[in-house]
Order: sequence, then structure tokens, then C-alpha cells
Amino acid sequence: MSGATVLSVSDLRVELHSRRGSFALTADALELNAREALVILGPNGSGKSTLVRTLAGLERPASGRVASVATGPVTMVFQRPAPLAGSVAHNVRVAFLGKKLSGSERRARVVEALQRFKIDHLAEHRAATLSGGELRRLALSRAFALRPAVLLLDEPFAALDADGQAALSLDLRRAISDTGVAVAMVTHDLRRAMLLADRIAVLINGRLVQVGRRDDVLERPSTPEIAQVVGMTNLVQGVVGGDRRGDLATVEVDDQHRVAAHTECAAGTRVWVGIRPEHLKLDVGRGDVDPIGKGVVREIINDGVSVSIGVDWAGSELRTHLMAGRGLARTLAVGAEVSLSANPEHVHLIPVCSD
Amino acid sequence: MNPPSIGLLIEITARTLAVCLPALAISLAVGLPIGIAIGGRRFAGRVPLVSLINTGMGAPPVVVGLLVYFALERNGPFSELKWLYTNQAMVLAQVVIALPLVVGITLAAVAALDEDWELQVRTLGVPKRWRMWLLLREIRLGLLAAVITALGGILSEVGAVMAVGGNLEGETRVLTTSILMYTQMGELEIALGLAAVLVGLMLVLAGLLTAVQQSGRT
Repeated sequence: MSGATVLSVSDLRVELHSRRGSFALTADALELNAREALVILGPNGSGKSTLVRTLAGLERPASGRVASVATGPVTMVFQRPAPLAGSVAHNVRVAFLGKKLSGSERRARVVEALQRFKIDHLAEHRAATLSGGELRRLALSRAFALRPAVLLLDEPFAALDADGQAALSLDLRRAISDTGVAVAMVTHDLRRAMLLADRIAVLINGRLVQVGRRDDVLERPSTPEIAQVVGMTNLVQGVVGGDRRGDLATVEVDDQHRVAAHTECAAGTRVWVGIRPEHLKLDVGRGDVDPIGKGVVREIINDGVSVSIGVDWAGSELRTHLMAGRGLARTLAVGAEVSLSANPEHVHLIPVCSD
Repeated sequence: MNPPSIGLLIEITARTLAVCLPALAISLAVGLPIGIAIGGRRFAGRVPLVSLINTGMGAPPVVVGLLVYFALERNGPFSELKWLYTNQAMVLAQVVIALPLVVGITLAAVAALDEDWELQVRTLGVPKRWRMWLLLREIRLGLLAAVITALGGILSEVGAVMAVGGNLEGETRVLTTSILMYTQMGELEIALGLAAVLVGLMLVLAGLLTAVQQSGRT
């Protein structure tokens, strides 16, 4: 449950200049509330790290302001945490330099922080000898040892293997939940975003283009570019038809392919039809309810946990996921004809003029 | 020629230390902050400045001695100081020799840190004075290398101190100038003895610094 705003951004413009060129970040309004996790998504080079560094006070805005009313420390964990000379425990104790804490309080916090991220057995090891995953756990331990009111995370799972990412994200989620710290996290990993986010902010080309509750942003991106960033990768163009029942209309993609969707758009409006892969259903029979037509399987990628299936449909490739080793995932073959369906509740229309 | 008495040897050694140690202290006091400032920042003109420092690191001591001589001689800009042929002149020359070594090695040690190192410590809310302590701790191996290199450069230097000190008996004669003088006089045994004292001195000081350096490794 989120609370009062602890960090806010208004009319922000940050300009960075280097030999390689200039970059500008703009954000009209962004708020981080107490006890919430805000995930900042965007493609590489979209300004995610610049935004989080600005929130941390490391970049000076050219205009606009970042206001903090946090009652506790605001700290940040960097994409490439740098170990300090000395032991792992020393690296955590560094966070207490210049702070009035008793020796016993310091020791207790170090132990608690290292246990929280499961590296207490490494307390006396040299920090420089840690692996990449352990180093991230150390950086997070150090940040949590401060008992921050706001924690800013820049790609905390970057360069970790899949197992490392999964384990660390679960520990991080538990730590956030236990402490109630407000978190703003930069990532381009959608799965981690979905695991941790209460709200999502999307940056594209240095502009903050959409902010909202997690499911709102995931299900209702405002532009096709945002749709791609938030994983709504099935996007085709169509025209809203004249037949409708209430706000339920039919979008004609071509002569054979139609999709039912809820929309306020008038008949004849050209729209992008967006369907998240997890909401696209496959059937080799007559199809589920809400059929959208037939397609041909072109690609099957099985990673042992899930199966990603590419289907030719109305001249576009749609993608859906199945659980590996179960049902259709075991029998489906490339070239098979399948029926596709999508619940209108999960079909999102974006007027073409919005892109 | 009679070999130098033990008393004279002690006097020359003591004078050597009396010149070298203040020169080392001044070089560190001035060079460390400059090295840290240049190593940790990016600014216009940094590359030519670093290039100048690197050139200074390899500057021939005898040329440094000549420049200091011109600065201090009676028509020089600092003739009022009346330092020529005094210990102060030798300290000044040695500072000019050691300063680029200290600055160059310190800035290399700071520049080798992760570029976000300072920011990472800053975001933990560590106050500035503690950040400086952490930085010195972080680059301590580089710092000790700077101290050892500067000490070696100062202690073994002969051209500059000869030029500005003059090797005056009882006043500005130090180990290196004595060795040179006795060698020129053909008193090779005495020169070798003095050289052994000089090398021993360097061994003791470098050994102490190395012990400090290695004890800091955890």
C-alpha cells in the first residue's frame, strides 16, 4: 500500500554534454510515493540512468526541480557497484561513517543487512574477491543497512545470469516488502519490472512518456513505441468497423481477420491493435471463444520453462507463450495451422494518430 | 686524503636526511591534493596538464638544478631569499624533482578507481572528510608507491643538489655529493663506503614503507 509522496519531479530538463554529443532528458511530472516500487522502463539510451541519477542528486537539472520530502536517507545502488578496499563487513560499515550510531547498533545492522541478502557467510572476505552477483548483494546490503526512506536502483540485475537475477529479485522484493522503503528502479528487464513494480514509468528518447499503475501501463500503453517497451509486442494495424454493441466494436485487420475490442473510437478510425503474448490464445481445433482467425506456426522456441511461439496471422507475426512440456507445447509443430483468440478485455486499441 | 671520520659520516648522513625528509614532506603535502584533484576530475586542459606532469616525472635532475640555480642566483627572481648554496636551496630543488612524481603517481591511482566510486560513496551520505579518508585508504598502495618513488628520486639525486648546494664542507655536503667528490678524487674505497651507507638508508626507509604497504592488504 503506497503512501505520501516522498520524491517528486516537475518540469524537469537535464542536459548532458560530452564529446560523443549531447543528450536531453525531460519529464513533466513524476512522483515516488512511500512504500511503493516505481519501475522505470525504456530502451537503451532512453535516459533511465540519467533520470535515476538526477533523483539521487548526482545530475543537476538545467531546469525544473526534484523535491524530496523523505524523512530518512535517500540512497542509490549503481549498475556496476564498486567494492571498497577491505572486507565485506567493512564495505557495509562504510555506510555509517559520520552517522551517530552506537557500536552495537552498527554491528547489528551489518549482520542484519548481510543476512537479508544471504552473504553473511562472506562478511570477512575481501570485497574485491566477490563475484558479480555477490557484489550486487553487497551493494544492496549496504544500502539497506542505512535504513533508507528512498532507494534508487540502476539496473540491479544487469549482467547476472538468469538464476542469479531470479534469486536476487526475490530477495530484493522481500527486502522492499519487509522495510517499506520507497523504490525507484531502472531496468529494461520486463520480467523483473513485473515482479517488483507497483507503478511503471516509461522513457523513450529522453522523454517521460507514460506513468501509471503497473497493470494500466502494461495493458494500456498510449503509443505503439510504449507498447513495445512494456511487452505488448503483438501490434497490427486495423480499422474500427461499423458493427458494435455498446463499446464493443470489431476491428477489421483485413478481409479474413477481425478482432473484437472495447473502444470509444468511431467507425472508420485507423488503430493499432495490441495484444500481449500472454493474452493471445492458441487452439488447433475450432478456436476458443473470441476467435480472431487462423494462423500458421512459423517458429517455436523452447527454453525448457516456457515455449515462445510465432504465428503468421494477417501478414504479421504474432507471438504467444505456453508452458513447456504441457498441452499444445508438446505437440505443436512448425507449419501447423492454429486458431487464435483474444478476449476483448485484453485487446488494446491505440489510434494511429497517437504514434 | 684521510677517510671521513665517523662523526663526519654521521653529520653528512644527518644532513642528507635533514634535506631529503622535508623535501619529501613538502612534495607529499603539495602533491597529494593536486594529484587527487586532477585524477578525479575531467576538465578542459586536463590532457596537456597531465602530459606536462608526466614530462616533469622524467625531467633530468641536473636541468632542474640549473633552473633552480638561475632562480636563486644574484640576478635571479628569488635572489632576495639568499638561499643559493644552502640547505634550503637543496630542499627546493628536490621538491621540484619529487613533486611531479608524487602528483603523477597519485593522479594515476585516483584515475584508476571506478569512475562512479566517489558518487557511490556520496550516495551513502558519507561526509566529505570521511570520503577523503576512504579515498586515501582506497589508493593507499598507489600512495606508498608515490612516497617510495619520490624518496628514491630525492635520496639518490646528485646533479641538482650539486648545482644549488655547491657541496660545501660542513654546510651543504650530503651523501650523493660526497660520493661524487671522492670518486673524482680517486678515493674509491671511501666513495664505496658512502654509497653503502646511502643504499642502506634507502633500504631501511623503503623497507619500512613496504612493511606499511603490505600490512594494509586485507
